[in-house]
Amino acid sequence: MAQAVKTKKTSITYGLSTGEKAFGIVNFVILAILGLLMLFPFVNLIAKSLSSNTAITTGQVTFWPVDFQTGTYRFVLKQGQFWNSFRISIVVTLCGTFGALIMSCITAYPLSKKWLWGRKFFALIFVFTMLFSGGMVPSYILMRALNFVNTIWVLIIPALLGVYNMILLKNFFEEIPEAVEESAQLDGAGSLRTLFSIVLPMSLPALATIGLFYAVGFWDNYMTGLLYITTPSLRPLQTYLYQLVTEATNISAETMTAEDMELASLNTEAIRAATIMLACVPIMCVYPFLQKYFVKGMRVGSVKG
Amino acid sequence: MSELTGRKTLSDQDLRRIARLSQKRSSRSRLHRSLPLLALLIPGLVFVAIFHYLPMFGLVIGFEKYDIFLGANPIDAIFKSPWVGLKNWTDLWIKSKFRQAIINTFIISALKVGICFPLGIILALMINEVRSNIAKKTLQTVMYLPHFISWVVVGALFMNIMGTTGIVNQVIVALGGETQKFFMDNRWFRFLLVLTSEWKETGWNTIVYLAAMAGIDPELYEAATIDRANRFQQILHVTLPGIASTVVMMLILRLGGIMDAGFSQILVMYNSTVYKSGDIIGTYIYREGIGKFNWSQGTIVGMFNSLINMLLLLGGNWLSRRLTDRSIW
Repeated sequence: MAQAVKTKKTSITYGLSTGEKAFGIVNFVILAILGLLMLFPFVNLIAKSLSSNTAITTGQVTFWPVDFQTGTYRFVLKQGQFWNSFRISIVVTLCGTFGALIMSCITAYPLSKKWLWGRKFFALIFVFTMLFSGGMVPSYILMRALNFVNTIWVLIIPALLGVYNMILLKNFFEEIPEAVEESAQLDGAGSLRTLFSIVLPMSLPALATIGLFYAVGFWDNYMTGLLYITTPSLRPLQTYLYQLVTEATNISAETMTAEDMELASLNTEAIRAATIMLACVPIMCVYPFLQKYFVKGMRVGSVKG
Repeated sequence: MSELTGRKTLSDQDLRRIARLSQKRSSRSRLHRSLPLLALLIPGLVFVAIFHYLPMFGLVIGFEKYDIFLGANPIDAIFKSPWVGLKNWTDLWIKSKFRQAIINTFIISALKVGICFPLGIILALMINEVRSNIAKKTLQTVMYLPHFISWVVVGALFMNIMGTTGIVNQVIVALGGETQKFFMDNRWFRFLLVLTSEWKETGWNTIVYLAAMAGIDPELYEAATIDRANRFQQILHVTLPGIASTVVMMLILRLGGIMDAGFSQILVMYNSTVYKSGDIIGTYIYREGIGKFNWSQGTIVGMFNSLINMLLLLGGNWLSRRLTDRSIW
C-alpha cells in the first residue's frame, strides 16, 4: 500500500511538463517579489530611524541605514509621554484580552449547547448587534452618562465582548464531542467546572486565535483614546502616535531641555520613525508564535456551512 | 413494560395524555438543565444590553434638537430635549458636503470590493500553487503581518514612502516625472486608500480561501491529472469550484462592510484638501457630529448608515441562501 502511494507520487512529479515547472517558478518569483514589496515600507522606515539627519534630508536612505546612529531610539526611550502611553496600552491590552476571553467563553459555551432553553432567542440577541448599531454619537453620549470619559475603563470595558469573536468560539465549542463533557458531568462536575477543566483545555487553538484578535484590537485601537481621553497620563500609545503622525507635533517642541540639545543633530522624521517602530515591537514579538494557532483556529471557526 | 402490557392495552386517549405529559416534563427538565448555563449567559446579556441596545434607544436623539446640558445628565437630557421630527435629516440633505460623503462612501467601497476582493482570491490561488512548505509558510507569515498593524502605523509607513520627499517620489523624479502630493491630491487620494487597504488586508483575506482549498478532496486533483489536465486547468476546474461557496460567503460579509469605507484608515490619512474625494460618512459624523457638537445630526446620519448596512447584509444573506444553501447565521 505504502509503495503504491509512493509510486503514484513519483509518477505525478515526473509527469510535470517543462511548462508546468516554469509556471511554478514564475509563480513563486512573483510571490517573492510581492512579499518583499510588502516588507519594504517597514525596511525603509527602520533604515530611516537609524540614519543621520543629513542622510535623510538629502534622501540617501533606501534599504540600509546611512551614517548609522541609535540616538533616535535613545531619545524616544527617554520621553516620559512615550513610556506613559506604552504602559497604559500594555495594561489595557493585558487586562482587556484576559477579561474579553473570559466573557467570550462564558457567553459562547451556553450558546454552543443545542439543547439550551431559549437558545435561538438568545443567539438572536447577540447576532442582531452585528446587524444594527446605535452608531457613534449615542455611544459617545452613553460613555459620558456612565462617567467613563477620561478613565481607563473606557479603554477596556466597552470592548470586553466582541460578538464576532464570540461566535467563532461558539462554533469551535460545537465541534467538541458531547460525550467528553457528559463523562465529566457524570463524575459530578458542574457546568462551570466542565467548561474550565474540560472544554477550555481542548480549545487552545481557538482561544489563542481570538485572544490574538482581542489583543490586536486593544493594542491597535486609537479611536477610543481619541474620542474619550483628554488627560495625557491616560492616553494610549496608538492615540499618541495618531497625534504624532497627523498633527505633525514635534516631540521635541514640548520637552526640549538642555540635555536634549543632541536633538539638534537628530531628524524629526527619524524620531517619528523610531517611535513607530518601537510601538510595533509587542505585536511583532507575539505574532509569529501564535501564527500556527490562528491558521487552525480560523479554519474551524469560519469555514462552516 | 410488562406491567403496562399485562394490565390492558392503552387507548389512544391515554397515549396522547402520556405524550403531552412527557413533552411538558422534558421542556421543564430542559429549562431545569439549562439553568446553570443561563446563569453563565447573564454577563454577556447585560453587556450587550448596555453597550449595544442602550445606544439603539439613543437613536431618538436623531429626531430631537438634543442639548447635552439640558438635564441632570446626558441621558436625562434625551427626555428634556425638544422633538423636531425629520428636520435634522432635511437640514443635512441640502448640504452638499454630506451628499458628497455618501457618494464617496459608495465609490471608495466599490473600488475596494472590486479590486481587493478578486485580488485576495488570486493571491490565495498563487500561494496554494507553491509546492515547498517552507516557502509557503514564509510567504504567509509575511503577508498576514500587515493585518496586525494599526492604521496609524500603516498611515505613517505610507506617508514615509509616498510623502513628497519619500522614496516613491524620488523614483518618479529620477525617471523625469513631477513630484506627486499623493496625500493632498484629489486625483490620487482614492488610489492611495485602495493601495493601503490592499497592502494591509489582501494577505489576511487569503487565509479563509486557503483553508477552503486545503479541504478539497485530493482525489479530484488525481483524477484531473489522469485526465491530463495541466495545472492551470486544475485551478480552473477543481480549485475554483471547490472554494465557490466560501467566496460567496466572504462576499456577503464584505457587503456588510460597504457602509464603512474605512473610517479608521481615512481618519489617519485624510486632511481638508482631500475632503472632496475622501470624506466618508464615518469621518463626516466624527467631524461634524462629535467635533462640532451637532449630536442630533450625527445620530441621524449614523442611523441612516446602520439601516443601509443592515439591508445590505440581510439581502446578501438571502441571496446566499438561495444560491448556495449557506448563510452566515
